[in-house]
Amino acid sequence: MKQDSNQDRTQDGTNDGVIVLRDITKRFGGKVVLDNVSLGIEKGKTTVVIGPSGCGKTVLIKHLIVLLRPNLGQVYYRDQRIDNLSERKLNTIRTHYGFLFQGGALFDSLSVTENIIFPIRQHCEITDWAQVEDLVKAKLAMVGLDGFQNSFPANLSGGQRKRVALARAIALNPEVILYDEPTTGLDPIYSDVISELILKLQRELGVTSVVVTHDMTMAYKVADRIIMLHNGKIIADGDADHIHNHPHPIVQQFIKGQVGEDDLAVLRMSGTASQAQFLPRDFQ
Amino acid sequence: MIGAVGAKTIGGVNNIGRFARFVWQSMIASFRSCLSPCTYPLIWTQMHIIGVRSVPVVMITGAFVGMTLAVQAYDQLAGMGLEEHLGVLINISVVKELGPVLAAVMLAGRIGGALTAELGTMNVTEQIDAVRSMGTDPVRYLAAPRVLACLLLTPFLIIFADLMGIIGGYFVSVVVLGINSRAYWNFSASGVELWDVSIGVVKGFFFGVALAAISCYKGFTCKEGARGVGQACTEAFVASFISILALDFALAVIFKSIYNTFWPLKSLV
Repeated sequence: MKQDSNQDRTQDGTNDGVIVLRDITKRFGGKVVLDNVSLGIEKGKTTVVIGPSGCGKTVLIKHLIVLLRPNLGQVYYRDQRIDNLSERKLNTIRTHYGFLFQGGALFDSLSVTENIIFPIRQHCEITDWAQVEDLVKAKLAMVGLDGFQNSFPANLSGGQRKRVALARAIALNPEVILYDEPTTGLDPIYSDVISELILKLQRELGVTSVVVTHDMTMAYKVADRIIMLHNGKIIADGDADHIHNHPHPIVQQFIKGQVGEDDLAVLRMSGTASQAQFLPRDFQ
Repeated sequence: MIGAVGAKTIGGVNNIGRFARFVWQSMIASFRSCLSPCTYPLIWTQMHIIGVRSVPVVMITGAFVGMTLAVQAYDQLAGMGLEEHLGVLINISVVKELGPVLAAVMLAGRIGGALTAELGTMNVTEQIDAVRSMGTDPVRYLAAPRVLACLLLTPFLIIFADLMGIIGGYFVSVVVLGINSRAYWNFSASGVELWDVSIGVVKGFFFGVALAAISCYKGFTCKEGARGVGQACTEAFVASFISILALDFALAVIFKSIYNTFWPLKSLV
């Protein structure tokens, strides 16, 4: 059902979802990074969180898996409150998640195979190593990197590292995959490869995905729903069309990649280029 | 001014609390690791890195401690005609104090810095978060094997340091300075008891746990960036060094009290 393009979907966060954030506030020191955010992540859909750098996107996604705990509010996974669980109990919940970190976060000292079987070794008794090798091969084939089993992260390119990290994230067949800036530092072609992989995983595995990005090309391509964060609050929430036509000036400025009047004013006031170009020899 | 002092005090107390909690978690995780054979390969790996590769540096340290003691003490004792007692002085100093403390300080430099740098880099590159996100306790996976390796191997490394200290002292005293070998060993045997050797080795357990816990904690809590990792390494070494000296003092007092309780007459002699 097509929603009214002038109506944001989630204002109170009470909609059902596989993961629900309710009235989340997160502070670091005196700085409020998330300000009373409520959000429900729908099962089997891809939710994309966009927003300018430093607006709290990564903090938000880390709350979904309780890598960060909120100062106020609650986090629910399948109607179970999880933000107040001990780390030990959370470890069981986290096996239902896969997390692709911004830099991949592959373990440098382990080979590609060892990285991928890491979560399997932690949670399953491995008796048949041939079966595990087949599994690694299948996971790597899924991200287009079969044959790289014995490579080490240091020998891989940025895009390959991201894809190995994605293979690791899906090692335990998670129900939810969280992507933190999956295309940062990649060229447009590799970015598109990652977008295609996200679509492929959703299509073939039916997973619920949450993608944090400021890459609008990717956002439009993979999103069933786009949420925009600004100053720790959700200022827009809807499908791609809704966001594209959103009346909020900050949303329009962000999706069009335009600098704001406030930023321009700061640039005008902060000195001229010629003032900044002197070198010590000018004093001689 | 008062506010700043208050904030620093609260920050300090918070840090101590967090460190105490980390040590407690590490102890529990280490105990569980001992009962779980699937974690043994991780412990063996750390034992190789921490223990086996530290043997040469610890042996060299011990040898120089023994040789330096012999050179320094010879003149004083020879002036009183007591040069044959040099063995007691060297060996008791080596096995009771200098061997354990200097071996532990060398380990703090060699291993402590490496542990902090490794875990700190893992922290800033989100590898520790990655471990958590895959449903694994990073304290159990990363800290416990290192703490166990240090706990189990520091006493053995101290034995190596002691052994080389004794050989170094003997070499300088007997071969270089010409003290009678039989007298050297006779006086050593009469002055150095099994108790003295034992307390030196037992100190190793405490030193090992202290330096591993401090180094892992600093790595886990290291701030972002290369500067953050560097600062964490420096803080880990300084904190480990001070802890080793403080523990040495505390253990010396405790062991002396125990000795006096069980062998009151010996202590008078």
